[in-house]
Amino acid sequence: MEEIQNIDVTKNPEPEVIIESTKQKQSEEVEHHCDEQQKQSQEEEDELRKLLLSDIGELPLSPPSATQLNFVSYFITDFTKPGHDHYIYRHANGLCVIGLAPTHIAFKDQGGITNIDFNVGKSDRSVLKVSGKRKKNAMRSESNTALCKVSTANDSYIVRCCVKGSLLEVNERLIKQPQLLNSSADREGYIAIIMPRPADWTKNKESLITSEEYKDKKQDGLLEPCLL
Amino acid sequence: MADETNPASGDSAGLSNGLVSHGDHKSRRVYQAARSLHSGAVKDLLSLGVCERCVFRLVSVEAFDSDLSSVSASTLRSWLESGDEKDASSEESSCCIVCLGVLQFVFSDAKQTLLRSECGSDYAARVTDLVKEEGHEFDSFGLEVSVPATIAENERAVLLYLKGKYNSESWLQSEKISVKDALKVLVLDPLKVSLGAKSDSSSFQIRLTYSKASDEAQGASETTRERKKRKTDEENGSTSMSENSFEKVYEPCILSVHCNKMPIFFSGRYFKYSRNVSQTRWIIDDERMGEASVEELIGGNILPACLGDSYKFHAAGREDIDVRMLGSGRPFLIEVQNSRKCPSQQSLTEIGEKINKSEKKLVGVKDLKFIGSQCWAMMREGEAEKQKQYAAIVWIARPVEEKDIDSISSLKELKILQKTPVRVLHRRSPLERERTIHWMKVEKIKGSSHYFLLHLCTQAGTYIKEFVHGDLGRTTPSMGSILGCRAEIIQLDVTDVKMGDS
Repeated sequence: MEEIQNIDVTKNPEPEVIIESTKQKQSEEVEHHCDEQQKQSQEEEDELRKLLLSDIGELPLSPPSATQLNFVSYFITDFTKPGHDHYIYRHANGLCVIGLAPTHIAFKDQGGITNIDFNVGKSDRSVLKVSGKRKKNAMRSESNTALCKVSTANDSYIVRCCVKGSLLEVNERLIKQPQLLNSSADREGYIAIIMPRPADWTKNKESLITSEEYKDKKQDGLLEPCLL
Repeated sequence: MADETNPASGDSAGLSNGLVSHGDHKSRRVYQAARSLHSGAVKDLLSLGVCERCVFRLVSVEAFDSDLSSVSASTLRSWLESGDEKDASSEESSCCIVCLGVLQFVFSDAKQTLLRSECGSDYAARVTDLVKEEGHEFDSFGLEVSVPATIAENERAVLLYLKGKYNSESWLQSEKISVKDALKVLVLDPLKVSLGAKSDSSSFQIRLTYSKASDEAQGASETTRERKKRKTDEENGSTSMSENSFEKVYEPCILSVHCNKMPIFFSGRYFKYSRNVSQTRWIIDDERMGEASVEELIGGNILPACLGDSYKFHAAGREDIDVRMLGSGRPFLIEVQNSRKCPSQQSLTEIGEKINKSEKKLVGVKDLKFIGSQCWAMMREGEAEKQKQYAAIVWIARPVEEKDIDSISSLKELKILQKTPVRVLHRRSPLERERTIHWMKVEKIKGSSHYFLLHLCTQAGTYIKEFVHGDLGRTTPSMGSILGCRAEIIQLDVTDVKMGDS
């Protein structure tokens, strides 16, 4: 009997001791596990980074802009009046962004454009509320419908839609920051966004010129000298 | 009462002499019910051309039930007429003027062959053959029956005639089971046996559709004038239905059997490694945009394994065609319509491997498995409230400086306002949406001073490209406005779509 008891004792050393050592082992394991996990996530990160940079190829010094990539640029010169040159950037989805081309005579005036007013024609274009996917309440405009009036120190000029369609949006930021027209008329200084019907666009397109043709016209000195 | 001298065992369907076995309670019940019917009405209807089971249905007060299924029409007729098997006619009865053969277990098949069955189990066997042709695997089914509208008109005509003759009789007042429901009662049990399946309101439906054999010969079809006259007659309480109204030609219907299984769902996560693959099939003017689509690469492999009719692809969010989906993948569901069999987990794993090992490496999948009704909850988890992580390669107009890296990384929970981007403005509402950029991290790119790698974690629904280039100033602030110069995005990858569980 005693022998058995002895064996029992050796088989079951003090419980606390067991727990202690198990705990230590556990925390070691946990640390080890943490290290493993960290290493694994580090490896995953590295894998990811390699993948992220994998198909850059050559990085050009000056890549094409988002506008150049996604839009086709058209121009119309001397629209209803000499020197009234506009750009029409047409997106693949049919929407047209309208603005002042670099050769617009407004830029010729000293000090550039100082003010813009959307309250022309019968209503204030800057208070339109177009809503919904169907673009309810959008103003239907003809190509010669007035969009806004830009003023310089000397004079003021009416800017027209150039494209027949629904007026979705005007750039109301210009009201508080008209200098955007001087600094970046082709980006943040855009004037309006118009959605033409496909049939109307096909007809309209005939009176527009391409980017290439515009450049040629400029070089040939047919256009007023501009700020840029 | 018939002589109970020759007891025969089991199903009275096998009995040719119509005698009732004293061991067969069902047939005995039917026999007794048949004998208790109003004999005058029964005789009238039989002579008009109403079939035995319809007579039972219209004249009996007791419920029409499945016991009738195993009694052949000729046996039933003999019980109805005189209880004496000697009178049982051996000639084939003509097409019933009410049910057009539906309850007589008579129909034409697709090849216009006329098929007759004596009893419910025989009919069930024929239907089973048609069901097996569709190839579904199932262990339970729901039964649906549809019959032509003229049957209801025929029944109305006959009831009107009966009301005219036996107006105040009690058996006429009770509600009569419809031909549709009567057929279901008669054939459901035999079908269960014949198909080896249980019946429940299950995901697998068998539909028996009876349709008119031809336009002319279908019985009491009314013209509009007749319908108006009938309605006013009913209101006035007068009837003008006589035996003559029923002298038309009646033809059995065409039966077609259709099986439909409710959609089944598979879930998983997909990766998109190509910048020329759209998420869903994208075709403009008959031309496909991009090389392939995630939807077709995955669904096109699952559909054949299910032997289904078609599939639908649902994903928790989407990315542009030129944006890769990396990291932990994007959750998706494939819904398969009318699958004939459900592939095992083993087959699904193999399908996943096949997609991942494909030569072109356009798309990858992970965790492809069958999922039940909780699938939509899982999808919703990936929606509006969740965060998404991206990595973009950004170019700016001037060299990147240390202060840029610091200023960008220090922006936490940055609120931005995004007007609907021009590139989607044609199909989305013009709104200004407020979104949050939770954090950003900048990594310089070796050998290039104008480019850097931007990691960002944003609220679901943020347009990343527009946040970088500013979308003509319609997203503010933008990367460009924060750094004070023009910024463009060269490429974008999704690196994590956070769901509740992972």
